[in-house]
Amino acid sequence: MNFLQNFAIGQYVPRDSFVHRLDPRSKLLFLLFFTLLVFWANNWFSYGLLLCFLFMVTAASRIPGVYLLRGLKPVWFMLVITVILHLLITKGGAVYVQWGWFSIEQAGVQQAIYMAFRLGALVTMGALLTLTTTPMDLTDGLERLLAPLKRFNVPVHELALMLSIAMRFIPTLLEETDKIIKAQKARGVDFETGPLIQRAKHMIPIVIPLFVGAFRRAEELALAMEARGYRGGEGRTRLRQLHLSWRDTLLAGIAILLGVLMGWWRE
Amino acid sequence: MQITFENVSYRYAVGTPFEKAALHGLSFTIPSGAYVGIIGQTGSGKSTMIQHLNGLIKPTEGSVQVGTWRISADTKVPAQMRKEVGLVFQYPEHQLFEETVAKDVSFGPLNFGATPEEALELGRTALDLVGLPFEEFKDRSPFQLSGGQMRRVAIAGVLAMQPKALVLDEPTAGLDPAGRREILDNIYQIHQERQLTTLLVTHSMEEAARYADLLLVMADGKVAMMGEPADVFAQSERLRELSLDVPASVDFLTKLNEQLPPDKQLPASLYREEEVLKALLQRLTQRREASL
Repeated sequence: MNFLQNFAIGQYVPRDSFVHRLDPRSKLLFLLFFTLLVFWANNWFSYGLLLCFLFMVTAASRIPGVYLLRGLKPVWFMLVITVILHLLITKGGAVYVQWGWFSIEQAGVQQAIYMAFRLGALVTMGALLTLTTTPMDLTDGLERLLAPLKRFNVPVHELALMLSIAMRFIPTLLEETDKIIKAQKARGVDFETGPLIQRAKHMIPIVIPLFVGAFRRAEELALAMEARGYRGGEGRTRLRQLHLSWRDTLLAGIAILLGVLMGWWRE
Repeated sequence: MQITFENVSYRYAVGTPFEKAALHGLSFTIPSGAYVGIIGQTGSGKSTMIQHLNGLIKPTEGSVQVGTWRISADTKVPAQMRKEVGLVFQYPEHQLFEETVAKDVSFGPLNFGATPEEALELGRTALDLVGLPFEEFKDRSPFQLSGGQMRRVAIAGVLAMQPKALVLDEPTAGLDPAGRREILDNIYQIHQERQLTTLLVTHSMEEAARYADLLLVMADGKVAMMGEPADVFAQSERLRELSLDVPASVDFLTKLNEQLPPDKQLPASLYREEEVLKALLQRLTQRREASL
């Protein structure tokens, strides 16, 4: 069991880089903008531009590329399915392979590549966001961005708190899962072999202690927060303020430039 | 069963930014039937080391010999090894999951192919061993027990597999002093009755001194010291360098000896609380008799 080591999304990698030092608000907004761009792109030029940009961001973040790819493991499967479906279903243009009713045509190949790129680019960008931003910063940024919604009685602070607690406990629960798996392995549970039903049954000795532990933790956390006088978001001040810097201005410039180039090159 | 580590190194998360070496070339031998205290600061590699003993993790380099099994980086771990080496993790009560104590305790034996009747019988013996009467506890939910009782049930769950070696990672963490003493006395009794090879990971020098025949001191993923308790405690300077302490009894004896003239000093090889107490009482009675 080494999913602990393969779990990249939601895991912060501390480095000192340009991307790490960006304000989380600008990173979040930029991710949104980038998503729009990815769906706006419609020819080789525009996709190529985005791909180059993605490489540049990865380099600027100083996150090892191999590690980023490994983190994308969970979506490989979806990517492959998308490619196969588009190869088979989308028709048009020159015919490359013809075999009875089955054919692979130019439009299919093109669409498959575009779609694979879209999915890959979005997931990579999302992973880069969580790899370079601490969960704390991320939720702080989200809370500030969504603050205007408070007027419409949306519990923004509570949502942000829930999100940050959830993210904070992902590594803890993973570690706990790992520990429980090891403890049950030490009692002779064999997770790797045997029929499917048998293996599903073996989840019980993991899931129950995990739930019990999660409830215990939740109760302890609630108690600890109350003991320190937590009463919700009203009038709460922050220890760490978010500040925009020249980096964020630069990012805004890059975004505008990217948008203009895209508008120019797309068809 | 004899346990030998040969130049064992272990690295966590190889090939990620989180890669970290935990053990550096460990080599030592633990004779069959020994009670070994494993001491070291948090992060010294104790917990990583003991997980090698039943193949939960395999050495990145070097090999581990447990009884007749030899485990190195690419060996497949035999299922039987998990049965023969019982591993009790820290806070073992967090692994309880069954509806009743009896079911939870017989979970291990069932996994190793015992029939339900045999497993229940093994569970009964194990519960009695840890001092929980089977008839009283068998139908209770493990989640309604006290902390100390839950821990005993979890330990019984490992003992029920009838291991030949028992490895305990801080079995007394978070218990009150009486509970600590009781559980450790219990484990020592089981160690003797079943002639187990026992490894006790602990932070407490007192606990190590009371039971162990052999001490293994770890620091920074290496063996810092190994030997009989008296020899290890004699090197108090080295222990302090490792941010560890000598047991209070040894400390007391050293300070007392400093106050006494050389010919009246108590033997410095004493380290168990009871031994020191006995020697002291003897000396005091002698003095009183002499003055009479």
